Amino acid sequence: MNSKPNVGVFLCKCGQKIEPLVDLAALKKSVGEMEGVACCDILPYPCLEPGLNVINEKILAYNLDRLIVAGCEGRLMLKKFERKMEPKGMQKGQIDVINLRGHVADVSDLSPSLKAEKGAKLIRASVAEMIALEPGLKKSIRIDQPPIILGGGISSFTAAHELAREGIGFLMSVPETDPDVVLRNLCRTYPGERSHYQRLKKIMDEVLTAPQATILPSGELAGLAGVTGSYSLSFNVPDSMTQCQYRAGTIIACLDGELIPPGPEFGYDGKTVLCQHEFEDVLYNEQIPEGNTVFWVCDYETGQPENAQLSARAAFTMGKHILENKTRAGVVILYNEQMPLPVNATERKLGRKLGIIWVPYDKSVRPILQADYVNFGSVTDHLEHELPWDRIVLSPIRTMGEKSRAAAKILGILHEDKEFLSAHHAKVRPEMVGREESYLTGSARYACDLTDALGQGRKAGKQNAEMITKSKAGQLFIPQIVCVVDPDKCVACGQCQELCDCGGIGVADLVGGGLPRVVDPMVCTGGGTCAAACPYEALTLQNNTNIQREARVAALARQMADHEFVAYACSWAGLPAADNAGNIGLKYDPAIHILGVPCLGQLDPSVMARAFLEGAPGMLLVGCVPEDCHHSFGIDHAWSRVNLIKKLFALCGFDRRRITLAHADMNKPEAFVKTIESFAKSIKMLGPIEKTPENQRKLQSIYRLVKSNSRVRLLLSAGLRRPWEHTYRGDQRYALQYEREDFIVALKEEFLKARLETLMITEKRPFNIRELASVLTEEKKSVAEQLSEMVAEGCINVRYKEGKPLYLSAN
Amino acid sequence: MIKFNINDTPVEAEPGWTVLETARHYGIEIPTLCYHEAVMASGACRLCMVELRDGEWSKLVASCIYPVAQGINVYTESESIDNVRRWIFEMLLAEVPASPEIRDMARRYGVESTRFAIKNPYEDCIVCGLCARACEEIVGLAAISVMSRGVHKKIGSPFSKPTEVCVACGCCVTICPTGAMRRLIESVRETPEVTLTPLAV
Repeated sequence: MNSKPNVGVFLCKCGQKIEPLVDLAALKKSVGEMEGVACCDILPYPCLEPGLNVINEKILAYNLDRLIVAGCEGRLMLKKFERKMEPKGMQKGQIDVINLRGHVADVSDLSPSLKAEKGAKLIRASVAEMIALEPGLKKSIRIDQPPIILGGGISSFTAAHELAREGIGFLMSVPETDPDVVLRNLCRTYPGERSHYQRLKKIMDEVLTAPQATILPSGELAGLAGVTGSYSLSFNVPDSMTQCQYRAGTIIACLDGELIPPGPEFGYDGKTVLCQHEFEDVLYNEQIPEGNTVFWVCDYETGQPENAQLSARAAFTMGKHILENKTRAGVVILYNEQMPLPVNATERKLGRKLGIIWVPYDKSVRPILQADYVNFGSVTDHLEHELPWDRIVLSPIRTMGEKSRAAAKILGILHEDKEFLSAHHAKVRPEMVGREESYLTGSARYACDLTDALGQGRKAGKQNAEMITKSKAGQLFIPQIVCVVDPDKCVACGQCQELCDCGGIGVADLVGGGLPRVVDPMVCTGGGTCAAACPYEALTLQNNTNIQREARVAALARQMADHEFVAYACSWAGLPAADNAGNIGLKYDPAIHILGVPCLGQLDPSVMARAFLEGAPGMLLVGCVPEDCHHSFGIDHAWSRVNLIKKLFALCGFDRRRITLAHADMNKPEAFVKTIESFAKSIKMLGPIEKTPENQRKLQSIYRLVKSNSRVRLLLSAGLRRPWEHTYRGDQRYALQYEREDFIVALKEEFLKARLETLMITEKRPFNIRELASVLTEEKKSVAEQLSEMVAEGCINVRYKEGKPLYLSAN
Repeated sequence: MIKFNINDTPVEAEPGWTVLETARHYGIEIPTLCYHEAVMASGACRLCMVELRDGEWSKLVASCIYPVAQGINVYTESESIDNVRRWIFEMLLAEVPASPEIRDMARRYGVESTRFAIKNPYEDCIVCGLCARACEEIVGLAAISVMSRGVHKKIGSPFSKPTEVCVACGCCVTICPTGAMRRLIESVRETPEVTLTPLAV
């Protein structure tokens, strides 16, 4: 790579959509004069084949390795440029698209030359970022170790079957290896599925005798470390205190849920009032009972209406079995009227022939069990009817089960306090996650029937096989915007692991403690809030680093006029809202200068502080509505960081409103425009921060504090939670109380230190305590306290003159 | 290098370019509806029609998918092209009477009213399929697609239900030429209902 990057800037006329509105010739002139820009050109359509052709020629002619296209929405166009420029060696991150049309041309009534100026500001900022970029390489990932199937769910067998079919050797940990025993117990997790048993038995036999299979001795999962490609797992050896360890390339966790009978309020007694999975045991292992069997599909009443159809199907198959084998028996299925019948026409016909009676009941009248009869409200005549019964079969309550919960905890996939494990992954584009959630199958994921569970197993087996085959061919690449840990800087505080919502951060190895963290690039979604939270700057988001963002915001802030401000818009809410506002021709205050960011959570407080240090009068951050954040918590973390800056502003006497967080929805551009107008008005009213030496020192101190003070950064990331959350994964504390009591005190102390340090560095001379206190207008006592601490930390030196101490910067 | 004429002006193109791309590169505008630079062309709306002439012979082709060829004579404005566009607009006015964008475009070609029956006065989606193509090609998902065939064609998610596949990125809303997606997206995206609270581990 050249030491100095060559940036090529291409301005789009977009037919008649940009050209008449922006003075492109003037813009080209000012861009051409920018440092680092090797060439600037105006094209009618840079995005079409002829335009791309011209860009390619320029890349060769000027040896370009960075590309900026100023045209329309980057959200739509960037991918095309990346795809087309990849053969030229341009990688992700080396191309930037600026929405000149939607953020500049269409949205205000400025004259074309003023719009060109605004465009130039945005382009200059982008150029600064491009120059600061150090491209991370496109890395392939190798999976040499075999996949491991664990958890013991029934889907283990279909997953294994797929792997065996692809000829891939695998490890398998199942508690029971006798197919007959497995099948006998299966009705406890999947009732009413006998019709599949024969087929399943064949699969099991094939898997257990497959040459690719290595069946591990049974044992519970005890520990997990490593990343995709090299996991190490430990299992407890039953009946001993020892553990055995295995290495694996990928993991397929097959976890089955647990069925619990409803409580006594449903009349459950375990004898005549049973639950479905118990009744099936009776049905097949004892004898088929005579008399009236009433299946009460009570899932609506137990609070799991989504499972009603599963239970109704199980009831239907069991009822069918009774009537096919016993003539003196009756079967009634009593169900809530809200449930659509889960049977097809043929089954309905068969049911009628056998005499299975489906009885719907009024949803607002709960059926009541009494001796020999059950009451229910009829949906047709609203009378209370009675049904005679000899036994009642209730629907089970479906849960993930304690065993699965324990395994999920170790696997790091237990994110939420929910009934099931179903992946709630960040809502991002599939290309941002290297590995789909192909490692979790079974009814602990979500309540499902046997066919579904087996299908999940098959799919996971297939996906893993594909991944392994790809990696063998050297074709499996990790996404390029992922977090990486610098093991030399990491002190193993574990903050990132607690904050990470993708489950992509773990420890490298099982043995020992206090180990640096590693990021699994195949799981990381590139949300980046972990990187912004790292107290020691050990974690970076490659190709999208903090250095880049600081460079960009600094370049933009330096150009801000007195009423102008910087706005960060996240690519899931603020940016699409801005794009859409431009698209439908809404007009707003041109004082706003929008910078896109994948998630506001990526913004390190140092980026915010830097903007003000470089002269921005205000900063607006437009992100998602908290519950809609695509990276789960990014917006909440941004909230905490914005508030940190606000607190520091208050300590400095600056107006707290200069930095403001806003929430937008991508489909509500009108609301977005209101947000901008309101913020622009308050910035106009406030004016710029006066550039006195004292103010500059204050801003410098804020920047120094939030960027490199690891105490403040650690305290900040420990409090990155919403006040209404009570359960935290690690040492995080109740946010509100913590903030009021501990954080603000520490912040005041550290800020005073930062101000003292800044003063000594900028003035380059020794100070005595009284002078320091008067310059900073602080109390002598607190200044003296901090000074002695700073001397102890070694960041300042002390000298004595006539018995009185004089303090001097250590640098 | 392929040489041919657009509106009697000689132009040059590389193999693989389309007539529309070449024309736009030379600053000749051709109106489009279902075409967007970010996704593959589909040739559905027929608004980008151009005329190929060779002596007495002529034919109309959709320029967004018509590859360039040596020596062809392309005309972007002519009576028969205007005729086709007026027909298209008249049909669109009947199909999507609620879309101001279409009304404005139609007015430019002198079409103010339609002779066809208006089925749904509130319809604004022209079923160009840009949103579905954007979802697939740009985002890499298939949260929305073009469903049914012929006159029953419509845009939506599988079974017309909110889908978890949708990541609510808004690409479809941005790319939509009539703004119909602003309404349609609401029935596709699902807003998460749970509060995400991690457990103490």
